[in-house]
Amino acid sequence: MLVKAPRSRLGHFETPVAVPDNWTLAEDGPARPGLIAPLRAWLESPDGAGVWLEGDAEIEEVASQIVRAPVIAVRFPVFADGRGLSLGKLLRTRYGYAGELRAFGEIVPDLTEYMHRCGFDAFVLADRRQAQVAIACIQRMSDHYQGSFPQPLPPYRRVAERL
Amino acid sequence: MYQYNVFDQRFVEERVEQYRDQTTRFLAGELAEDQFQQLRLRNGLYIQRLAPMLRIAVPYGMLTATQLRALAAIARDFDKGYGHLSTRQNMQINWPELEAVPDILARLAEVQMHCIQTSGSCIRNITTDQFAGVAADEVVDARPYCEIIRQWSTYHPEFDWLPRKFKIAVNGAGTDRAATHVHDIGIQVRLGEDGTPRFDFLVGGGLGRTPVVGKSIREGLAEKDLLTYLEAILRVYNRYGRRDNKYKARIKILVRALTPEKFRELVDAEWEHLRDGPTQLPATEVARIRDHFKAPPYEKLPGEGALLASERLRNPAFNAWMRHNVAPHRQSGYAIVTLSTKATGVPPGDIADEQMDAVASWSERFGFGEIRISHEQNLVLPDVRQRDLRTLFDLACAEMLGQANAGLLTDVVCCPGGDFCALANAKSIPIAEAIQRRFDDYDYLHDLGPIDLNISGCMNACGHHHVGHIGILGVDKRGEEFYQVSIGGNQADDASLGRILGPAFSRAEIPTVIERILDVYVEQRTDGEIFLDTVRRIGVEPFKLRIYSTNDPVRVRSSRPKTVATRLPSASPPANRFEKTARAG
Repeated sequence: MLVKAPRSRLGHFETPVAVPDNWTLAEDGPARPGLIAPLRAWLESPDGAGVWLEGDAEIEEVASQIVRAPVIAVRFPVFADGRGLSLGKLLRTRYGYAGELRAFGEIVPDLTEYMHRCGFDAFVLADRRQAQVAIACIQRMSDHYQGSFPQPLPPYRRVAERL
Repeated sequence: MYQYNVFDQRFVEERVEQYRDQTTRFLAGELAEDQFQQLRLRNGLYIQRLAPMLRIAVPYGMLTATQLRALAAIARDFDKGYGHLSTRQNMQINWPELEAVPDILARLAEVQMHCIQTSGSCIRNITTDQFAGVAADEVVDARPYCEIIRQWSTYHPEFDWLPRKFKIAVNGAGTDRAATHVHDIGIQVRLGEDGTPRFDFLVGGGLGRTPVVGKSIREGLAEKDLLTYLEAILRVYNRYGRRDNKYKARIKILVRALTPEKFRELVDAEWEHLRDGPTQLPATEVARIRDHFKAPPYEKLPGEGALLASERLRNPAFNAWMRHNVAPHRQSGYAIVTLSTKATGVPPGDIADEQMDAVASWSERFGFGEIRISHEQNLVLPDVRQRDLRTLFDLACAEMLGQANAGLLTDVVCCPGGDFCALANAKSIPIAEAIQRRFDDYDYLHDLGPIDLNISGCMNACGHHHVGHIGILGVDKRGEEFYQVSIGGNQADDASLGRILGPAFSRAEIPTVIERILDVYVEQRTDGEIFLDTVRRIGVEPFKLRIYSTNDPVRVRSSRPKTVATRLPSASPPANRFEKTARAG
């Protein structure tokens, strides 16, 4: 079940919604349009395909290429593995990735909120109920101490700049 | 003292409701056990050997009288009438019902408190010198920076799911009372040549299975860079720290594997990208936070040296307490008082609800309504008028908080151990008590001078045994509890790790082992030399020879060591030390 939290033109995220998933994960290459393929396969035939990253991906080396992918999907092998959060943050803030950034693997709804704040805008949940919970989780907290992808400035910078 | 604004208050309230929802889903079977475990840990809830334990965050050990009273009430309403002060300046309560925890969190939120990130693989409570802001030897007040780091690290989007727990300490005094050398990150704040605060960073220190003293990776960092530099360290750790083996997942292992030089390079490269980014700390924000830590309205008071001297002559017990438990204050006419929880027969760090209420009222009567928790598991009243010291001493004695043993052998630092903790190999509290019973003669203790005795029930080292001048570690040998003894550890500026003396002893043998170690010290010391310095000068051999003497082996004394007391969980539910408050059920 795919949940998307797309960004509107004003730069704010809209209410997340459950949507049909048009992409298929492919564990092996070759990559082709409509498939999300592992990084190595994707690098060989990137056109129209999504790229699958593991948490230990050295994205520095391939960033200039993968930011052109329509979808980057980061796998969370176990739900408590936070490496993917750093990858999401880097892709959005350092490498300017503007396409869909999705989280898949063992996704616990409660963790989608962290992912969302790190720049993920699509989440693959186990079922409809989990998707509903994730939609609620993403919207539960009204603000945070840190900046995030939806709101890059931490509160103290916002106040300071308003003054 | 930091006071929540609307933002902070709303944040903790929303976090409570979030946790309530998580608990509800867990109880409804919607969250798997291992998933809920990670979520509850990030709200301080452990499931212990006998029941849950809830660890309440006390940021950098600071409390108001109102907060301490709220903790007393929570201990009364949800626990058996007492709390436990931890070595991270927090307070733990045992036996809360899992279902009741959201309500406890809501009660805490009413007094601007929470349990966020007191456990789990995330950034834990930021600790500092328990005398910060009042110590005579302070260079920079570390508390505003602790609060800034607390806010930055609270529910961080990127760093709440680290390879392992992460501990940060900040010290701003001439003496390191925050053990910065044995933290994942230890920060020393000082004044630069230009008069601005400068931050020196140690990384990769820590205790546990692989005790390491932290390595210096950056000196003289400017204030505006504090958070971006932390962000750089945490990002490197989050990406590259090991996740395949929890015993190799702390940052110290990464720093060692990469070498400190390579680690520094990675951090610096990351920081170049971040230093001018949105997390940069503006001076206006530091000023806003610092405003919360302004000195209270001190009276202009003369020093009371003469009055105190005559009181001390008249009353040897008061004299002893003044010597060990009263520290110099930066303000004339005031003093800093350590209220020792280390009464013989009471597990170190345990404090009853009545004691909390009493301390709260003393803090208002004699100071400005503020209390500290020290990482040595004692309470501190930071602003006591010198002329009130005698009155306070008498009140403290009546509440079993007047022990004149701060920094002495019987001021034992001790984890909850096998009586409570699911991880422990061995009990630790009965060892503390046996030692306190053996060495109950004040004159002898005073003559021994400062000795840090630290006891951990397992190699996770919550009792910080590696940095005790004397350290005791509980080990399991074929299902039996034994204790390994080390000496020469130190947590302060010239931090060092203790050396193990040899094969472990049984619990009953430990007091005699300690006695022999102390005998060697007393025989060998030079004038005024403290225990640690003697160990450093003569090495561990003379101590080994004495405790493993073949013609006079350590034997259990005929009198059976007393077991601890009333409050340990056993077959029947433990009674409160103060029977009158014991609750039914």
